Amino acid sequence: MTKVTVYSTPACPWCHKTKDWLKENKIDFKNVDVSADKKAAEEMVQKSGQMGVPVIDIDGTIITGYDVAAMKKALKIN
Amino acid sequence: MEHHADYDVVIIGSGVTGTGASIYCGRFGLKTVVIGEKPGGTIILTDDIANYPGFTKISGMDLADKIHEHAVANNIEFVEKKVTKIAKCSEGCFRVFVNEDLYHTKTVIYATGTEWRKLGIPGENEFTSKGVHYCALCDGPVYKDKVVGIIGGSDSAAKEALLMAGYASQVYLFVRGDKLRAEPINNQKVIENKKITTFANIEVLEVLGEKFVNAIKIDKQINNSDIFKLDAIFVNIGHVPIVTLAKEIGVLVNNKNEIIIDKMSKTNINGFYSAGDVADTQFKQAITGVAEGVTAAYSAYHYINENEFICLHNDEVVKHEEN
Repeated sequence: MTKVTVYSTPACPWCHKTKDWLKENKIDFKNVDVSADKKAAEEMVQKSGQMGVPVIDIDGTIITGYDVAAMKKALKIN
Repeated sequence: MEHHADYDVVIIGSGVTGTGASIYCGRFGLKTVVIGEKPGGTIILTDDIANYPGFTKISGMDLADKIHEHAVANNIEFVEKKVTKIAKCSEGCFRVFVNEDLYHTKTVIYATGTEWRKLGIPGENEFTSKGVHYCALCDGPVYKDKVVGIIGGSDSAAKEALLMAGYASQVYLFVRGDKLRAEPINNQKVIENKKITTFANIEVLEVLGEKFVNAIKIDKQINNSDIFKLDAIFVNIGHVPIVTLAKEIGVLVNNKNEIIIDKMSKTNINGFYSAGDVADTQFKQAITGVAEGVTAAYSAYHYINENEFICLHNDEVVKHEEN
């Protein structure tokens, strides 16, 4: 099963868009609030090499920003 | 190449202006597609909207979602992709490309809006998302207990500074002019906030760092140095219209690079309309953008009914281009 983690902040609109898109496509994911979890924030920076949210980890494929095409490709869906 | 044939209207831009326009296109019975990579547009970055009729208070995201739902209820098609090229046909139609995919249409409503204005200084691009940011609402919380700078002197910059003061340990506001030009209420809040320090008459010359930002170079000395240490900057110096594709087909712009439209949202090219923040209107609000968008829909409806179109299909388009 594909493991999906979304690193986000609570008020970030593009984070909400990303999570909404995953829900619409019935993709299970773990949401991590990097504003409340310093360790998770460091993990996000280490994985993505940058500080912007959202960051989406799809089985090791790291996507930065709300990028439907990249998510579809990583999830192998049309 | 995938050919999406014979639209009445292709709306480029899926913010509230383009989406609002599409509702009227649907009600006029026009076959319409809205193409845009950022559904909702820039308004979704606004936390509270209190001036859109019908809503005492609503978030930008919720307003955009409601307008989108309204459009879907009127059978509007949405494509969440970026338009890469527009071309005019000799028959008066337009070809709108999303990479290899072609959308052939009688009219275009161009509502692409704006994007962040950049500082245009060394280090800015290199450190984008690595300490150079443009959206405090999105990336601000990542800088909890850090030192940040806000670059800009407008009311919007003041609001960003106030927002960041909720997260950061210290906020420095760098204003290029002689004073902060915020609304009086926000100006007062900035003055009273102990975490915020404002520096006027300062220009940022360079963003410095290794893997991430650790300082900026400024044109004057603060504490006997022109190197100012901080963890991140949030740039808030306004927006620039997204006009490249329209200009490529000869759409006229003013000296601010905004598309020139008349009262009916018409540009200088027949069948090509524009509306919202990308257009040369003075008062740029969600409600005025939507109004210009629906005016464009009305103009498109009449234009389509009053003209004959001999639209080319896929093979003929290729032949047409070769000729």
